Amino acid sequence: MKLKQLLIAVGALSVVSFSQSAIANEGGVELKHAVIDVTSQEQIRRGLTVFTDVCMGCHSATFVTYKGLIDYPEIGLTREAVDELRGDYALTEGMRTDLSAEDAKGSYGKVPPDLSVIAYARKGGADYIYSVLTGFEHDPKGIIPDGNFNEYFPGHRIAMPDPMGWLDHDKEDTAQIEQDSQDVAAFLAFIADPHQNQRRAIGCWVLGFLLLLTLVLWRLKVEVWKDVKH
Amino acid sequence: MLNSMMKTKIFAWVDRRTDAGAIIKSQLTEYPAPKNLNYMWNFGSLALLVLVLQILTGVFLAMYYKPSAAVSYGQYTVAFDSVERIMRDVNFGWLIRYMHAVGASAFFVVVYMHIGRGLYYGSYKEPRELLWIIGVVILLIMQGAAFFGYLLPWGQMSFWGATVITNLFGALPVIGEYLQQLLRGGFAVGDPTLNRFFSLHYLFPLLLAAIVGGHIHALHVVHSNNPEGIDLTKEEEKIMFHPYYTVKDAFGVGVFLLFYCYFVFFNPHAWGYFIEVDNYVPANALSTPPHIAPVWYLTPWYTILRSFPDKLVGVLAMGGSLAILFALPFLDRSKVRSARYRPVFKQMVILFFIDVIVLGYCGHEPPTPVLKLVGQVATAYYFAFFFLLLIVPKFEKTKPVPEGI
Repeated sequence: MKLKQLLIAVGALSVVSFSQSAIANEGGVELKHAVIDVTSQEQIRRGLTVFTDVCMGCHSATFVTYKGLIDYPEIGLTREAVDELRGDYALTEGMRTDLSAEDAKGSYGKVPPDLSVIAYARKGGADYIYSVLTGFEHDPKGIIPDGNFNEYFPGHRIAMPDPMGWLDHDKEDTAQIEQDSQDVAAFLAFIADPHQNQRRAIGCWVLGFLLLLTLVLWRLKVEVWKDVKH
Repeated sequence: MLNSMMKTKIFAWVDRRTDAGAIIKSQLTEYPAPKNLNYMWNFGSLALLVLVLQILTGVFLAMYYKPSAAVSYGQYTVAFDSVERIMRDVNFGWLIRYMHAVGASAFFVVVYMHIGRGLYYGSYKEPRELLWIIGVVILLIMQGAAFFGYLLPWGQMSFWGATVITNLFGALPVIGEYLQQLLRGGFAVGDPTLNRFFSLHYLFPLLLAAIVGGHIHALHVVHSNNPEGIDLTKEEEKIMFHPYYTVKDAFGVGVFLLFYCYFVFFNPHAWGYFIEVDNYVPANALSTPPHIAPVWYLTPWYTILRSFPDKLVGVLAMGGSLAILFALPFLDRSKVRSARYRPVFKQMVILFFIDVIVLGYCGHEPPTPVLKLVGQVATAYYFAFFFLLLIVPKFEKTKPVPEGI
């Protein structure tokens, strides 16, 4: 019996560690929770606008094609709207920034990462994106210059200079910046896996079917075995 | 249904040329199995199911996947791109790829349960020693296949995981350096490594399929063990595999698929345990991730490796921890098979299961002094378990085993 209790304790411990790794980023700071809905066309479109207006100044999302902005029902832009966005780029091309890698290195010291799968590539996903975008503060130790200190970035020193204008923003702008940051987090969470809503929808049917099938198989097993004494 | 099928003319035609009827009889309808097998005996058929799923999904993935580390855009490579194209542009590519990725972990879950059952009920003992040894070969090939497969997306963890593991071979004396370069196809993990790992990732499952055939054949020669761990002599203690265990296995498949499909459709990354977060970052030879850990199913052995300050000793210990499984049937000489009737062994083997989970946890987490010590203690018990088996039968008072079931 003691061993059983130990087993349960080990099980409980692993559950705790699971959930911890889900909320904490590598810096070990608890992330802010982003209120996002990856099925909301409204929010994803707002996020797309933030992405093209702000992020795409430096970042690309090369796996997201302009055609995808029309095809994915969660975005569903018209051909005209996409033509305006893409300019001279082909419809099948990915969304790429005009900032060259060399210029980026010159200005920021490193090449900004591609954001196609960033929501999966960082612990915390959308929460992490939202937290970093609204995490620019003055370094309490006064070492890291303003605009490079981020509460949620591992090691706190970030090369990206406060894109949403969070540092020293006016109080009345807080809600707007927070909303914009959550919207772009929703957009990035969506494009990390653009078939995720279809996946979950199909998954409900699959699990429903399997539940019935398993029930039938269970009754069948009981029926077949009813004469076996064991 | 099987009966009416076997009465058709077509079946008679096939039967005359292949003896299919005799095979079906000897392997299914007249294959005797103990009637007291519990649900722990379901994991063998589940492992076979997952193997088939992995091969099928893998064949389709290979139609679209491109093993090339050539740079495509920014940090991305042709290999990484092709995986993302599968996820985004191939019709239901996301389903096939998530089935394959979740399937890898599911394979290890069912196989570890299967091995644990064999340990607990003494299924490795006479006359099933070879059955067990073939099983250990399967485990090793599976781990190899999983390791090769993890390189293919060419993410950070693919690259650095492969770098760490191929480095290990370099620690071996004399042949180490040569072996390491042979595996990598060069002096560092790169494009040639990716190509040969893809080739091996396709080869290993074919080996698996063949050896699994041998495993099942060996099983059908010596027949299943049972929870009581006794030899069954009376006919009424046995039932035919079909329909009794086919229907029980089918029910098990239903339960398994519920879990499997939950992860495929709702949680394919499993909080970063099935597909690690860092593997969505493209491979970068110039930037080492802060914490390199293999996927969960290899972490127990990774902890054993890390528990020794000397690299060569660590590598040998890791190899030894797997190799010792081959010797298990000959280390444990107790006449009683099942842990149900071996009080000392029962405590030891349950502690061993916990020990492996602890080893896995230590290997997954970033190393701290405390975790390192815990890992070392767990490593010590891992080996102690096997060597204690040598002496346990000398003092263990086994409970009387039943005459029959």
